[in-house]
Amino acid sequence: MTQPSASTQRASVSARLADIVGERHVLSRPSELLVYNSDGLPGYRRQPSIAVFPGSREETIAVVRLLAEEELPFVPRGAGTGLSGGALADDIIVVGLHRLKKILSLDIDNRRATVEPGVVNLRLNRHVAPLGLLYAPDPSSEAACTIGGNIAENAGGPHCLKYGVTLNHVHAMTVVLPSGEVVELGSRTGERDGYDLRGAFIGSEGCFGVALDVTVRLTPKPQTVRTLLADFTSVDDAARVTSAIIASGIVPAALEFMDGPTIRVVEDSIYAAGYPRDAEAVLLIELDGIEAGVDADLEVVRRICLDGGARNVKVARDDIERAKLWQGRKKAFGAMGRLAPHLIVQDAVIPRTKLPEILQTIHAISEKHGVLVCNVFHAGDGNLHPNIAYSADNAEESKRVHKAMTEIMNACIDAGGSITGEHGVGLDKMGYMESIFPASSLNAMCELRSVFDPGRRSNPGKVVPVHSCKEWHGVKSARETSAATVPPPLAAEPSRPVAQ
Amino acid sequence: MTTEAVVATVHESVDTRTPLRICGNSTWLGAGRPVRADKTLSLQSDSGVTEYVPGDLTLTARAGTSLAEIQHVAKGNDQWLPLDPYGSESGTIGATIATASAGPLSATFGLPRDLLLGLQFVNGSGDVVRAGGKVVKNVAGFDLSRLLTGSWGTLGVITEVTVRLYARPRSDRTFVVPLTGSLVEQASVIQAMYVALSPFALQLLGVTVVRALGLGELPVALVRLGGNEAVVDAQLKALAKITKPGEIESEVWGTLRELEGSAPSVIRISSMPMRMIGTAARILAEEVPGVYTTIDPRRGVMRVAAGIESEGSEIETDVVNFDDLKSGEGSTEIIFEKLPAELWSRVSPSVVADPLSRGIKKAYDPFNILNPGILGD
Ligand SMILES: Cc1cc2nc3c(=O)[nH]c(=O)nc-3n(C[C@H](O)[C@H](O)[C@H](O)COP(=O)(O)OP(=O)(O)OC[C@H]3O[C@@H](n4cnc5c(N)ncnc54)[C@H](O)[C@@H]3O)c2cc1C
Repeated sequence: MTQPSASTQRASVSARLADIVGERHVLSRPSELLVYNSDGLPGYRRQPSIAVFPGSREETIAVVRLLAEEELPFVPRGAGTGLSGGALADDIIVVGLHRLKKILSLDIDNRRATVEPGVVNLRLNRHVAPLGLLYAPDPSSEAACTIGGNIAENAGGPHCLKYGVTLNHVHAMTVVLPSGEVVELGSRTGERDGYDLRGAFIGSEGCFGVALDVTVRLTPKPQTVRTLLADFTSVDDAARVTSAIIASGIVPAALEFMDGPTIRVVEDSIYAAGYPRDAEAVLLIELDGIEAGVDADLEVVRRICLDGGARNVKVARDDIERAKLWQGRKKAFGAMGRLAPHLIVQDAVIPRTKLPEILQTIHAISEKHGVLVCNVFHAGDGNLHPNIAYSADNAEESKRVHKAMTEIMNACIDAGGSITGEHGVGLDKMGYMESIFPASSLNAMCELRSVFDPGRRSNPGKVVPVHSCKEWHGVKSARETSAATVPPPLAAEPSRPVAQ
Repeated sequence: MTTEAVVATVHESVDTRTPLRICGNSTWLGAGRPVRADKTLSLQSDSGVTEYVPGDLTLTARAGTSLAEIQHVAKGNDQWLPLDPYGSESGTIGATIATASAGPLSATFGLPRDLLLGLQFVNGSGDVVRAGGKVVKNVAGFDLSRLLTGSWGTLGVITEVTVRLYARPRSDRTFVVPLTGSLVEQASVIQAMYVALSPFALQLLGVTVVRALGLGELPVALVRLGGNEAVVDAQLKALAKITKPGEIESEVWGTLRELEGSAPSVIRISSMPMRMIGTAARILAEEVPGVYTTIDPRRGVMRVAAGIESEGSEIETDVVNFDDLKSGEGSTEIIFEKLPAELWSRVSPSVVADPLSRGIKKAYDPFNILNPGILGD
């Protein structure tokens, strides 16, 4: 029997995809596909075979059905800002959703909106802001990332401390399953019983199918917002103050931490926010709600900061000052691009009481390996982002960086934490899944995935290492080929400016 | 009872193909479709808080721990679990998560799915599965915690639960607002409260409920304001601009939760908040003897417990009264929590008949031994 060559097959699939979406929206030349060979996480490259960009819901369904018919694997992709390699396609088809960017309906009274998956997070927020509403999950990548990507990653953001993550703000979605079947998960108009399939889909990292539309909950804008910057000469003091604020029971809208190296790199960049350069840590704290109540909490928080060793607590006077303080925080990853050609952005969670201890441990690890760690993170949630800037061209340095990162992750796991708080497992964290979950949990995840995607064609090879799935135990090569046992590559390639 | 004992029981049931009826403190056993089981697996004795870190505001408890015990432990550090499902505080945390039961605080603090950080369960093959974790933010792997919440024991026996706690508010006061005037006037008061307040709880109570609580003869709104003193004062001022609130003891919430007690039928009708507000006044004013109606306008949920005083009261005829909620665009969802056994097959044979739900059930409970029938099949 003669098999058609790979390139003939690709040409025929491309042609059929072009019949659905138009020729302009199918890419198959390697040079055109370069843009899609990475996401927001530097260090990994995977070249897709084809990229297809449907322009409507119907086209998306038709594309997924064609891929089902041909039994071809694919990777859904939003804006490609993901930080776990989740949107990478290794010689398979990328289904890009950024053209599906309609806000389908907006119900102000009932505080909900239905949007297509390609709608950019910030655009939705700009759209509803004049109506006195907001969409609470606000990843720092809000200017670029899509609601579809947010759903798939269960994205968080600074204000998720008080308002909750994506999971807490989604009523329903329509999904085209990898089989091509279209299902409605959750309920647009009320509550539904039966299994929480909407909950199961959120955070499924593209492995359960493609979200075609999402009905989100909108939140009334708070009456008052106060933004504080507390600066410290000791990281330890700032960490203790963080724990003390949480323990006080006040729930700030946001409680963000930046350490000395981060402060200085931000201040050297075009995003300079006026953070004191000689500080070893700053806390950016936001309180919101009813004016009188916020003022009372503000006094308590100010006291905790000053008693805990803050040199100074500055309250933003107006929206301009407030925006400036936030800009430094939101663009911190971007600013780190100045330090060295490459940057590892890490994501882990620890119990909040362990913050002082873990920051000391991270410091000790960085000293031991001679690497520079910049900590900028959602301290209120215990969601760390220890980042390391380095040059991947230097093999010896790469090795040290890699060792340091592994030790930091292990310290977080030992502290009773999690390997990811918001960036997802993707390709990058698969190797750690076995350190926090028993085999039975991984198998239960595999089984759930198999219900949504029996052929494992939607974003294959991500999240759960394939050898953890019971029915795959017999596959000898699975372990060898799984990224789980391969150390994350520290490829020699220039880090791209982070998408903003 | 320990996790090991649960595993042993499940293994035995698999071997002998003996379906299990899973129970907590058996306070809510009448709920759900009739279970076809020959044996009871009770988690009642598997109780106790196993880990509590006040500084992290997280608490882990065995499934059989009562909500009252969790509240008692948390109170020692001026904290609480803002989860107040209808029924009594002697209900267990395991059953509360398994049935996704919630009460008046849920429009502010979230449903069980929002307060849950992680859990441990034993699936229908006897495997011990851990989902989520003990930290407040976590996206490692597919979300089995949400999957198990509201699965009514059909996917696994929940053995341990980790939840998020909150600090007790410095001020926590409850006010009653009689709903008077024309239906239009009442609706506008309700809407004004919906827009202007951020209360801990806002419930509208029908006349039968009001009478049972000894709060008079008119439908009322029950408003719970919480936070620091300044917040409560400011909200109270806002409330006073809309209507004349009278303060009452906060014990009323506990009484309200227990009121429906042994009602043979309990249903939840959910719709959009505005739609609910639009019809609320008429429904609340309608005197249906033996039918206890409460409405949470923010969640868009009406809860109806029927047949308390008059045995014969049939849930279906009561539902028919809500025709204007049910008809038209932007439909309503009706969730049946409790019905006389013979009604289920007619009214709601199954909520897990779709292929995804069936696939999940088959994967997690291949021998169909966990609460078979309770969600329909
Ligand atoms: C500078 C910077 C800051 C960031 N800050 C944060 C932060 O504060 N909080 C946070 O949570 N994340 C943050 N991120 C990570 C990232 O922005 C989020 O994970 C975001 O949700 C990804 O959205 P995207 O549209 O770019 O998705 P992509 O990167 O394109 O895809 C991510 C995953 O979603 C899947 N996917 C995309 N669309 C769909 C769909 N319609 N249906 C099904 N699956 C789909 C993909 O297959 C992939 O697995 C940051 C990233 C950067 C670069």
